[in-house]
Amino acid sequence: MSESAPSTTFSGFGPKAIFVRYGFLIIIAAFFVFFSLYTDSFLNANNLLNIVEGSAILLILALGMTLIVAMGGIDLSIGIAMDFGAAFAIVAMKEYQIAWYVAVFIGIAGGSIVGLLNAFLVVKLKVSPFMATLGTFFIGSSVQRIFTNGGGPISYRRVAQEYRDLAVGDIAGIPTEVVIAFVVLVIYFLLLERSIFGKRMHAIGMQQSAASIAGIKVRNYLFFGFVFASATCAIGGLIGSANLRMFTPLAGYSYLLDAIAAVFIGASIHPRGRPNVPGTLIGVLFLGIVANGLNLMGLNFNTKDALSGIILVGALALAVMQKRLR
Amino acid sequence: MNVASELTKEPALSFARVMSSAPLIIFVVLLIYLAIAAPNLLEPSTISLILKQSVPTVIVCLGLATVVVAGGDDVVSGGIDLSIPATAVLCAGVIADQLTNHGSSLFFALALAIAAALAMGIVNALLVVFIGMTPLLATLASSVAAVGITKVITSSRRINIDHPFIIYIRDGDIGGVPSAVLVAAVFVLIFCIAVHRTRWGMQLQAVGGSREAAEVSGIKASRLVAQSFMLAAIAGALASVFVLARGSGSTPGSEENLLLEMVLATFLGAAFSPRRIVTVWGAVLGAVLVSVLSVGFKSIGVDVFWTGCIKGSLILIVVASAAYTGKAQS
Amino acid sequence: MTLPVDYILEMQNISKAFPGVQALDKTDLRVRRGSIHGLVGENGAGKSTIIKVLAGVYTRDEGSVSIDGQAIDTITPIAVHDAGVRFIHQELHLVPHFTVAESVFMGQELQGMLGLASRRMQQRAETFLRESLNCDIKGKTLIRTLSPAEKKLVQIARALIDDQAKLVIFDEPTAPLASGETEQVFKAIRRLKERGISMIYVSHYLGEITELCDEVTVFRNGSTVAVMTDIDEHATDRIIHNMVGRDIDALYPAKTVSPGQPLFISSSLSDNKRFFDINLQANRGEVLGIAGLIGSGREELIDTLYGLSVPTQGSIALEGKTLRLNTPADAVANGIVLVPRDRRNDGLVLDMSVADNINLASLDEVAIARMEKRGAAQKRATRLSDQIDIRPRNAKAITRFLSGGNQQKVVLARWLATQSSVFILDEPTVGVDIGAKVEIYQLIQNLAANGAAVIVSSSDPQELLGLCHRVMVMYRGQVVADEQALNLNFDALLALSTAGVATAVTS
Repeated sequence: MSESAPSTTFSGFGPKAIFVRYGFLIIIAAFFVFFSLYTDSFLNANNLLNIVEGSAILLILALGMTLIVAMGGIDLSIGIAMDFGAAFAIVAMKEYQIAWYVAVFIGIAGGSIVGLLNAFLVVKLKVSPFMATLGTFFIGSSVQRIFTNGGGPISYRRVAQEYRDLAVGDIAGIPTEVVIAFVVLVIYFLLLERSIFGKRMHAIGMQQSAASIAGIKVRNYLFFGFVFASATCAIGGLIGSANLRMFTPLAGYSYLLDAIAAVFIGASIHPRGRPNVPGTLIGVLFLGIVANGLNLMGLNFNTKDALSGIILVGALALAVMQKRLR
Repeated sequence: MNVASELTKEPALSFARVMSSAPLIIFVVLLIYLAIAAPNLLEPSTISLILKQSVPTVIVCLGLATVVVAGGDDVVSGGIDLSIPATAVLCAGVIADQLTNHGSSLFFALALAIAAALAMGIVNALLVVFIGMTPLLATLASSVAAVGITKVITSSRRINIDHPFIIYIRDGDIGGVPSAVLVAAVFVLIFCIAVHRTRWGMQLQAVGGSREAAEVSGIKASRLVAQSFMLAAIAGALASVFVLARGSGSTPGSEENLLLEMVLATFLGAAFSPRRIVTVWGAVLGAVLVSVLSVGFKSIGVDVFWTGCIKGSLILIVVASAAYTGKAQS
Repeated sequence: MTLPVDYILEMQNISKAFPGVQALDKTDLRVRRGSIHGLVGENGAGKSTIIKVLAGVYTRDEGSVSIDGQAIDTITPIAVHDAGVRFIHQELHLVPHFTVAESVFMGQELQGMLGLASRRMQQRAETFLRESLNCDIKGKTLIRTLSPAEKKLVQIARALIDDQAKLVIFDEPTAPLASGETEQVFKAIRRLKERGISMIYVSHYLGEITELCDEVTVFRNGSTVAVMTDIDEHATDRIIHNMVGRDIDALYPAKTVSPGQPLFISSSLSDNKRFFDINLQANRGEVLGIAGLIGSGREELIDTLYGLSVPTQGSIALEGKTLRLNTPADAVANGIVLVPRDRRNDGLVLDMSVADNINLASLDEVAIARMEKRGAAQKRATRLSDQIDIRPRNAKAITRFLSGGNQQKVVLARWLATQSSVFILDEPTVGVDIGAKVEIYQLIQNLAANGAAVIVSSSDPQELLGLCHRVMVMYRGQVVADEQALNLNFDALLALSTAGVATAVTS
């Protein structure tokens, strides 16, 4: 047998070529297999549903982030928008006895305030998105501390059952939050990947001045993008508050880095390295699998945090490397 | 012929010039207000307290300024290191754990902390230079990992320290000047000279100003960027000692506040520089001013929860006026 | 028997192939010591390939290279630098907030006893700029306050400050400069020649080649087709002939016969900084040229006409209706479109496909319920790109990888896809090779013939005279002439642009 023959015949399938094409998917599969073998309960249907359900809020926030990153920005305040969504809805129901379905809109409007501030700073004052949303993040955090006297949760145990069902109910056997996340996913897919608005947003993200010269109303799109993204994140906040029947100040912060990571992992899967909706979904599921698996392994809380941080660094490094090698 | 007295050809006084000074003007107004509202602000004891309070921020600012000088001041595509405060807290956790829980010698604890910082620096440098991640993303991710590791080391608990060295840094003084301030001044001097007065520093600035131009001129840009991340991590390790002294031990979650102050001070510092660029001494000045505001607001009885709001707004004013000036120039 | 010639650089039989392309095919390039040697050819002729072989960026497949009589086998960037070869790239590679002295000594900083020798660097930079480059600027001046020509000289100073240079390669040194500013750079180059430095001068501007160079090598399709030693101001035609392998009698297409009604008018337009009291009138079926140096307010006027900046006084009207143009989107909505001077930054989204770039301004027409009909979009783009011959004929190709001429056609195709009536073209043929130039000129003429008003702003007087019906000349922010092209000639146009009066001022 000639040993050199196969390597020349399959040159397109060398380790590097395979890595460049499927690198990240292979890693996801490896984690999947690892957790299946290492824990008893990972692979059972209930747990897989748990992963999907546990990823719903992150997916919603990551989609908002995808929109901003596709337009060439970044939004460090998505967690604040989420917190505001929860706070406005819970306070509206608790303090003002407002019907739950009105409170939903109040929550979304509350989250949109964050986006409006970002949009004002970025579009009107020309502050870079990073700095603008960093400032919003700190102001928003401080406002929450002031409002709650230092960060105590506002709980409302007698919240309407319908509101609670946003998180714990189901529609035709599928958890409501999964249904909501799916609807948001479809809306974002159509908006960003199929509509002419999405094409213009991608153009703005790739080369803003060229998009402007081509007659695209860049400022309007940026304004819309920041507000729409924060409104989306507020939906995540509604689900979170419905689940716990309380507003937990600064809860949104824990989603920030995961959302950024999901978007960049998603971009690495795209042939031209662009942030995109299906890619973000894959990134979110990857993070969900890792979080769930580490949980099932019965690690202590601190160790789990450290491990997931390290896996995050590794995953992002791999994603960027894959994008660069292409 | 007096070369030094010749001014550079900057545009004359204009609205844009005034706008670019807006952060300075606001700071001066705030300072005057605080000095009137809280007269004890100008007493030597308060000033020494302010300087002492500012030391951890000053030291992490040295690191951030170095990275920004090497990477350019565009926060998204340029140089930024958000992991310095996390590195400082990680090192603080290592030192506190070694001294208090394991009874190690000070030397061993510090050596271990430096090793941890260098590891962080290497990770950042690898992610940015070798893998090609944007510094923002790379250092955000590595800071999460560092915070996670800190939690493992400290079990998310506060660890008190009563080691004489840390107490000395906290309380000691030399001729009335707090020892922490003196030690910090030495580090400030070292960083200032290294970045602004040496060949290495000029090349670092060249890389940050235009990476392509630097490479065409034969400067090894990647190596310099990597070195800047290593220096930043070392600044984090240095800061950890002062973080420990200020808090008499390691406290989980103290990196968040340090992060805000660091970014605010460093970019505020650009407003002090005649060329409107991030400099080491500008960042130090910014850090001290931010500390003045913190102490000042506290002494006139402003609720501590408001400080995040005030500082966040200041950041926005600083960058908005910088953005406005940039717009007016182009 | 002729005397042996003293060559500073001899490159013989150089070949270099890339996958699918023979970029250089047994090419020769010889430069006499102490001469300025022009290197010309269309885009893709192999100019930049041979320069990169000389720089050590590419490794040659075959051929010999000797510098100053020394044969060099393995060319590395360090080896050629040590041999005294310096490259002045097209890009300036300067840091805006650095001083002149810091820029000149970037990467080769002088050190004294205590760190940097700042004073010494300043003085040496000033002395070098004054004595070797004929330029009097202070070492402490910030780069961002310099004129484009001064920046170019600082870049040259950086390459030559060590006094080791024997051969300097200039790659399009005047590309970012207005014609009035080039003289400062030319003076510096002549000064260098007096000091015995040999030079290679690569440029698309044949006027500069004939003015500066002693000899010219012409490349075509990777081969040396001519080495011309008798260079005078009339050599341009012969150079073009050698470059394209045929005469271009009709570089400029015939102009349409009769311009129609006024369409696009500005009245007393001022921004109170760079241009004042501009009364511009663009007629249907007419190509209106705008001439003027950089700093004449020409660029700022174009920006204002397109809504990129807002005037402080005066008004803009289309078909008698006054317009408020606050953004480019307002202009496009009114059928006013711009082909910008900076094609790669402002004209195209480089990482989008050709189809996406063509459809970008008229996405509504390939959408149903705001969702893009991807098949229809592709088809429409393909039809338009076939119509004006965009290569490669693949609308899915990424725009970044097209040549300059084809990229410019993509910008034009985008606006052809809209129903626009006013076409503003800013430097439409910069960085475009001669073949594509002719096609773009024809397209411009067709636009006018179909009833559009076309405004062409250009720093090339020849182009304005050949292409336009009427030329408006700007000088220091004001219109100094608005004449039928027939009544102007090259010298008059140049005098108007550079001195603001019809006859050249002699002193």
